[in-house]
Parts: sequence; C-alpha cells; structure tokens
Amino acid sequence: MTDSFSNEPIPTNHLPRLDDEAFVAVDPRYLRVSLAGVALVATVIAIGTVVIATQANQKVPPLLIGCAVLLLLALVAVVRVLEVRRLAYQLREHDLSLRSGVITHRVESLPFSRIQHVNVRRGPIERSLGLATLQVSTAGPDISIPGLTQADAERIKLLVTERADAVVDEGAGNSEISPPTQPGAPPAANFTSPSAPPTSPRPAPSSVPPPPPQ
Amino acid sequence: MTDLSTPQRQSPLAIVFLGLRVFRSLGIAQIVIMVLFIVRAPLNGPLSVLPIVIILGFGGFSTLAWWRYTFQLVDGEVVVTKGVVRVVRLNVPIERIQSIAIEQQLLHRLTGLVRVTVDTAGTKDVEFAIDAIARPAAEELQRQTVTAVPAPRPTDGTLPPPVLAEDRVVFTHDGRRLLLMALTMSPLTGLLVLGPLFALGGDFFDRVPGGGPGNVTFQWWWIPLGIVVFVVFSVVLNIVRVFLRDWQLTLRSSPTGLRRTSGLLSRTSTASSVDRIQMVASAQNPLQRQAGLRSVGLATIGQGDLSLGGCNDAQFATVATLSAVTPIDALQLDRRIHPAEIFLAVRNTSVFCLVLTGALFALTSWWSFFTLAAVPYVWVTKRVGVANFRWGLHDELASSSKVISSATEQALLHKTNTVHVTQSIFERRREVATVRLTTAAGAVTIGMIPIVEANAVRDTILHAVETDTRPWI
Repeated sequence: MTDSFSNEPIPTNHLPRLDDEAFVAVDPRYLRVSLAGVALVATVIAIGTVVIATQANQKVPPLLIGCAVLLLLALVAVVRVLEVRRLAYQLREHDLSLRSGVITHRVESLPFSRIQHVNVRRGPIERSLGLATLQVSTAGPDISIPGLTQADAERIKLLVTERADAVVDEGAGNSEISPPTQPGAPPAANFTSPSAPPTSPRPAPSSVPPPPPQ
Repeated sequence: MTDLSTPQRQSPLAIVFLGLRVFRSLGIAQIVIMVLFIVRAPLNGPLSVLPIVIILGFGGFSTLAWWRYTFQLVDGEVVVTKGVVRVVRLNVPIERIQSIAIEQQLLHRLTGLVRVTVDTAGTKDVEFAIDAIARPAAEELQRQTVTAVPAPRPTDGTLPPPVLAEDRVVFTHDGRRLLLMALTMSPLTGLLVLGPLFALGGDFFDRVPGGGPGNVTFQWWWIPLGIVVFVVFSVVLNIVRVFLRDWQLTLRSSPTGLRRTSGLLSRTSTASSVDRIQMVASAQNPLQRQAGLRSVGLATIGQGDLSLGGCNDAQFATVATLSAVTPIDALQLDRRIHPAEIFLAVRNTSVFCLVLTGALFALTSWWSFFTLAAVPYVWVTKRVGVANFRWGLHDELASSSKVISSATEQALLHKTNTVHVTQSIFERRREVATVRLTTAAGAVTIGMIPIVEANAVRDTILHAVETDTRPWI
C-alpha cells in the first residue's frame, strides 16, 4: 500500500502564503492570566492537604495524594507556559489567523468576509493587567485571541470590523453576481494547475502590519 | 392569493395548539404533580373549582396569546407581534431567513391547517413559529421569503416586491421507491420505535397479561428464531416509519431554492434557498449499493436541512447540480491520505485493548483476551478505508470514503467560515497534518496529508473565499 501512495507537491506559488514568521506573539503578561487559575487550584489543594493531614490519624496518604495532584498541576502549568509561548496571531488584508497548541499544533484562519460580530472581553485578572481577549464570531466556529493589550484589542476589533464592512460593501456594489460553477467548468482557483491564474487579483499579504504592542 | 401585507392572525383553532404548547412548557414533572394533586387530593369546598380555574386560566391565556399574535410581510421584513404580558415586536428581514418549514401534524390535518417554523442564523432554535394557519397563507409566506429572488435594497429603505419564482417538481418517490428505500435501510433503524420497550426491560413481561414465559425451559433454537423475529419486526416497523415520514417525498426547485415535501399523517414542507446550502453529503450502505440508491443530505444553516433518502445516481447528480455543486462523479478525486493513518488507529486500539484486557482479566480470566480481536478488525477496516479514501480540491473540497458503507462530502470553497490546519505529535513526526474546512453547517476534514499540501489547501481555500463574490449565506 505504501508503494502505491503518492502525494506530489502542489505548485501553488501564485497563492499568498500564510507566513509562519509573520505571526505576532501575544503579550507575555498573558502568562500570568493563564497561570492564575492553576495557581488558585494549587493553593486550595495545598491548604486542603495540610488541613486534612493534620486532622487525619495517618498523615502520609493524604500528603501523598496532595503531592500527586500538585505535581499534576505543575505539569499543567508547564504546558500552559509552552502554550502561551506558541500563542500568536497574524492579521492580513483579508483574513485573521491564530496559531496555538503545544501537543497538537493548530493554525486557524478566518476570512474577514465571514465575520458575524467581534467582541472584546476582559476578566478581572485581565483588567488588572491591562489585557483583553478578542472574540471573533462567525456563523460556524469562533476564534478567540487572548493576551492582547486593551488598546491592541480595540484597534484590531476596529480594523476587523472595517474590513468586514468593506467586504460587504464590495459585495453589494458588485450587482452582477457570478453564476454558480456549472459541472465540468474550470475551477476558480485551480489547485492542481500552476498555470491557472487567480480569478481576481489580490493584494500582497501582510501589507497591513499588526498593531504595535504597547 | 393571501395578502400578507396586512397583519394576519392565526386560525382561532390555534388557541388549542397554543394551550397545548403552554401546557407542555410546564414540564413533565410539574404536569404529573398537578394531575396527581387534582386526582388524589380531597378537593372539597372552594378547592373543588380548582380544576375549572386551571382550565379557564390556560384557556384565557391561550386566547390572549392568540389575539396578540399577528404576522405580516412588509418592506421586505416579516413582522411578528406577540406576547401576553410583555408585547414583543420581531422584525426579521427576509434575506436573513434561512428556511421555512411547513408541517402538518395529525391534529392539523383534521382541521386543514399547518404549522410554520421560521429559521434564521441568529438563533440555535427556530426564530418563531406560527402554530396554525391555512396552508395557502403558509405557502405564500414560504414563496415570498425563501424562494423569492433577492432584490437589492434601495437607498430609501423601501424594497420592491420580490420576484416570485415558479417551482417545478424535480422528483417524487412513489410507493415502490419508498418500499425499496425502507428495505435497504439498516434493519435496526426500525428498532428506534422499540425504545420504550427496552426502557421497560424485564418489567415488560410483568405487564403482559398472563405473566410472560414463566418457567418454560430454555431451548437453543430460541436464539436464531428470536433474531429472525427481531429483524422481521424491525423491518416492518421501518417500512411503517418510512411510509409515514416520507410518503410522496417530493423535491421541487425554483431558480433560487429547493423545497422538500413529504409525510402521510403529518405533512412537512421544508424550503431553503440554494445560497443557504452549505454542504452536500451522501451515504450508501451495501444494501443501498445493490439497489442503486443513496441518502442525500443538504446541510443548511439552522434547522432547515434537507434530507433526501432513496435517491438514485441520476437524482443525486441533479440534486448536486441544483445545489450549485459539481456531481461527485464528475469531480476528479485523485488524492489520497497517508497510510500512517492505519498505524495510528491500530496502535491506539492496541493500547486501549491491552489496558481493557488487563482490567477485565481479574473478572473474566482468559476471556478478557477476546477484546484484542478489535485490533485486527480495526487494522482491516482502516486498511480498506485508507485505500478507498479519495479527496480533491477544485471549486469545492470533496471527499469520498468507503469501508462497508460509502460516503461523500462536498463543501464549496466560498462557503468556508474558517480553515484549520492541525498537527498532532504523531503527525509532526511524519510531516503530515489535518486540514479542516468549516462552513456554517458542517465541516469537511482531510487528515494525514503532507503538511506542505495541507498549507497549500489552506492557502487555496482562503484565496477562493476572499476573491469569490458569490453569496454564501
């Protein structure tokens, strides 16, 4: 079966690529937000373990269980640290992408034209650190970008909303809606053929730089 | 033709439906407590009028709710006014309506009325429902909203009357097709009807007059006989179910929309515009393959999915074309996935089965090793699955799979909401990835393809979404 398997490289040179280097990391202070929950749980467990151990006849079992749970939480904290290091976003002219995940790497991309609404959320810990989470909703799954400074979140929200509106206006201005592709007709952007040009010119990506971190 | 520009009130019989709906909304537990209280409690003196008060209360509330509930179609919006204590005015632009379903349950059928449910993308449930109106008014509403050709909204805010499109019948399933459809479905489907009997369990025989099997000695031939009776009973139930649900299943099309109508006792009509169809999927089990039939599903945003069972290949191709996707046979699905998928599935199953075997060993001794039989089963099915899996990226992302049953999925690229490229540790070691195209009503996932290819797919999809001006919702 392995012999018959083939996956030839697909020439998509004319397509704008999502550049891995152009991702912007979230604010490092987000690490504190991410670890706050773990720290709170660890504190409660540590106090609970000490209280139970002092009250119990056999002190070793509760201490062992408490230490095991704390060790597990330490592992969670390590994963959180790595997660925050990997968490990054990228704004291009037409879409927004989020890179996340440690064990499973994930890159989610969302075209502005599919945005239903944008929301900026700030929890108490985020407020104390001047951070915010940008929630971008679509008719399908949503994307949340945590660890943005409040100013950045508001700026990106404005930019994303403007872009989405611009796309809608562009669509409304184009009164001649292209008919659906008929069976057998050539596809709009030929994935397999490098010679086929894109259906309409698209500006180069990353011409809109992400807002500078404060 | 019903004039929907003036406020329309439901049929007075809607009071009964509204009353029933309010009654049901109380909850089963509350209803049971109320009934037990009325039946068992000594209602003497002034309390004896309590049941009458409750009935009058429900009746009065329902009548008020009926009186308050009006709907009309004005300036390109469906305007619904409702509410007894708090009056709510709901304005739903017709371009936001995803689907309108017309349903005729048994009580509706006796009274010649229909129930209409209107679905938008704004809510997970139906946006609003009209409990009982005359069918012509319902069909007029359906015609003027979902199947109407959208017209550009002028700057002065008023809308010209929509261009109404006449629909035509694409196909109708006759009784023979329905019978074939029911026979080729899984014989266990009809067992859904037997759910309550399973819930009763051993208590079933206690409730049967005569007390059930009693002390009769077990005979070995009861098992095959039981299986045969079980399957025959299930098939018969399935036939009844299909005839009740899909009687005269008809698909109609207009230049902008599709409408599915079916049902024997309860007649249901679901309509959706072509723009709102997000994905086209089909499934075919071995029996259906022999009969040349397949189930086709058109996923739309919200509750208005169109499910078309018992389609032959020509009908499937027609439905695909009407849904603006390419018939699957005309697509070049020549790409495959990495065989590492087999290793991953077998490894995960082996680990799980070993742990399970160890856990069960104390209870079942050597019998626990039978759980390891799942490993060769997974190996064989995955091997066949990977060998038969095909996908392709054209104007749509499409996939075709076949193990015992076969299935196809198609999503037009310009309907994409988000694209994900994910890589687990296992995938990273082999430089493969999973790409997932998500629409507003489902997703197509292609796993175990080279990371370079996955990124190229992602870039192609994003490019298609951002350059395609066709409406997607």
